[in-house]
Amino acid sequence: MIEFRRVSLTLGNFALQEVSLTVRKGDYYFIIGPSGAGKTVLLEAIAGLHLPDDGEILIDGEDASHVPPEKRRIALVYQDYSLFPHMTVEENIGFGLRMQKRPKEEIRGRVDDLLAAFGIEHLRDRFPGTMSGGEQQRTAIARALASDPEILLLDEPFAALDPVTREHLITDLQRIHHEKGLTIVQVTHAREEILRMATRCAVIIEGRMVQEGQADQVFQTPESTVVARFVGMENILNGVVATSADGLASIDVGKQRIIAVSDAAPGTAAAVVFRAADVTLYLRDREESTARNQFEAVITAVVPLGGPLTEVYLDAGFPLVALVTRRSAEDLDLTPGMSVEASIKASAVRVIPESS
Amino acid sequence: MAQTSILRDRCLVSFSLLGGVILGFTVLALLNMTAKELADIPHLLRVAADAKVIDSIVLTMAAGVNAIAILMIFGIPLAYVLARTDFRGKGIVESIVDIPLMLPHTVAGILVYILFMKRGLIGAPFYSIGFSFEDAYPGIVIAMLFVASPYFINSTREGFEKVPVHLENVARTLGASRFSAFRHIVLPLSARDIYNGAILAWGRAIGEFAAIIMIAYYPMVISTLIYYRFTTGGIKESSTVAFVMILACFAVFMTLRYLSRFIGRHDDRV
Repeated sequence: MIEFRRVSLTLGNFALQEVSLTVRKGDYYFIIGPSGAGKTVLLEAIAGLHLPDDGEILIDGEDASHVPPEKRRIALVYQDYSLFPHMTVEENIGFGLRMQKRPKEEIRGRVDDLLAAFGIEHLRDRFPGTMSGGEQQRTAIARALASDPEILLLDEPFAALDPVTREHLITDLQRIHHEKGLTIVQVTHAREEILRMATRCAVIIEGRMVQEGQADQVFQTPESTVVARFVGMENILNGVVATSADGLASIDVGKQRIIAVSDAAPGTAAAVVFRAADVTLYLRDREESTARNQFEAVITAVVPLGGPLTEVYLDAGFPLVALVTRRSAEDLDLTPGMSVEASIKASAVRVIPESS
Repeated sequence: MAQTSILRDRCLVSFSLLGGVILGFTVLALLNMTAKELADIPHLLRVAADAKVIDSIVLTMAAGVNAIAILMIFGIPLAYVLARTDFRGKGIVESIVDIPLMLPHTVAGILVYILFMKRGLIGAPFYSIGFSFEDAYPGIVIAMLFVASPYFINSTREGFEKVPVHLENVARTLGASRFSAFRHIVLPLSARDIYNGAILAWGRAIGEFAAIIMIAYYPMVISTLIYYRFTTGGIKESSTVAFVMILACFAVFMTLRYLSRFIGRHDDRV
């Protein structure tokens, strides 16, 4: 287990500020955030490559702020793979074991196993410069696993791979994660990777940890608008809380009023966020509905997403995005200029008071 | 491809012509001397077999090797620190490294002399235990070391900087100490630059004259010998010695260049 307690560090003109996080044994932990947010530096700090200026790093409950990287048993795989260009695949994978001065036969056996596990036996004597991205990535991960680390750090491992190779590698990593109970910390900015694999995740923006928790929780209940935007909430609207009673709040957004499950105090400036998928469109007013939020809306644009889904942009007195299936968009013949009824369940709407 | 197209590219052609002028000087100077020397082969052979000349060439080259060996011991660590760290006052340290480049060589010679002479700050304690830099081999080595150091340190540092820091980081997470990562990753990957820096510095060292004669006129390095012959025996005497030195240098540098093919070669496309 690794724990950061308000860790700050400055690196040139870049800084991590009071980052706190907890990676538990067996976690598949994701770190997400925009480019330049400090995700790689955070990984390097976990690996022990940067000393914190302030705060504490605990490994298994003990202060490890000054434990050097070679003693942490945390392996790091960079986005660029960083294979040693002057060593063959076999020598690359065996490097860690050679550093630990393990017997030759043991090194050979372990390297053989890893070459087989990653299906790269045929690359044994090749130098990295002649290999494809996928081959290099496999070698890099095999090398990281060779010295039997407790935590594997992966910096955007799939970013430069073609879709087929990426699928293979995701399967490999999930297998390793399950079979060995290996703790994995992975940096990404692909949301689908997180939803597929993550147990926990952290959002980091401009060197600050803005939210940490169970992956689905972070995705369903973002605590700030930056996180909401980052986890793909399509509708983020600014408003003011008008009334609040019985756990329901109504928020004035533009000329409309949106009801949400929230106990925010009246008068508070707040953002209303919800997913486009939680917006339902109807052709005409329905008499009865449990949805608290019903709005007359005019379609401004219909954007097919290339797959089975279509995004519909509307003006409901405030800008609104809905996600519908391409089939229903076609069946209802949704076109710009058309008037529809949009409804949003109050339970799907999240209210984020402005201060947070 | 480049060879077929260069003649059609006017810019490259004119650049090549201008560049050719500078090469022309060197070639012309060499051919001019070669022609003169080959006109009197018996004299050339006599000079080439002269024990004083041979001793002096060997002394110069050996002192150069010695200076580079010392430079490696102290210069490689310094180059690594400069390549991998950022600290306040780094600019000052870099300027200090480059000082021997800026100074006239006579000035460098005086600096070295007053530090290492028998009464000098460093020279005196050594002299008290019977070790003299003045007019002695160690003095030559020290003078060479001083003037050659920037060439070696800067080239080595560039080599270290070319090694991605990620490689070192990965090596460390795999269980290598910083020194092991340096030894197994950084050093092999920058071997070529270190080697080239050493050759450059050695070339600079064996060519030194002004700084050396200040502290050690004797034993005569080749530059001193050529100057001595020039002032006592005239142009013919000195130019023949110079020609022999050219041949010796040429042979050595060709060998070193050939050897460099086998050093630090790796595919760095990754």
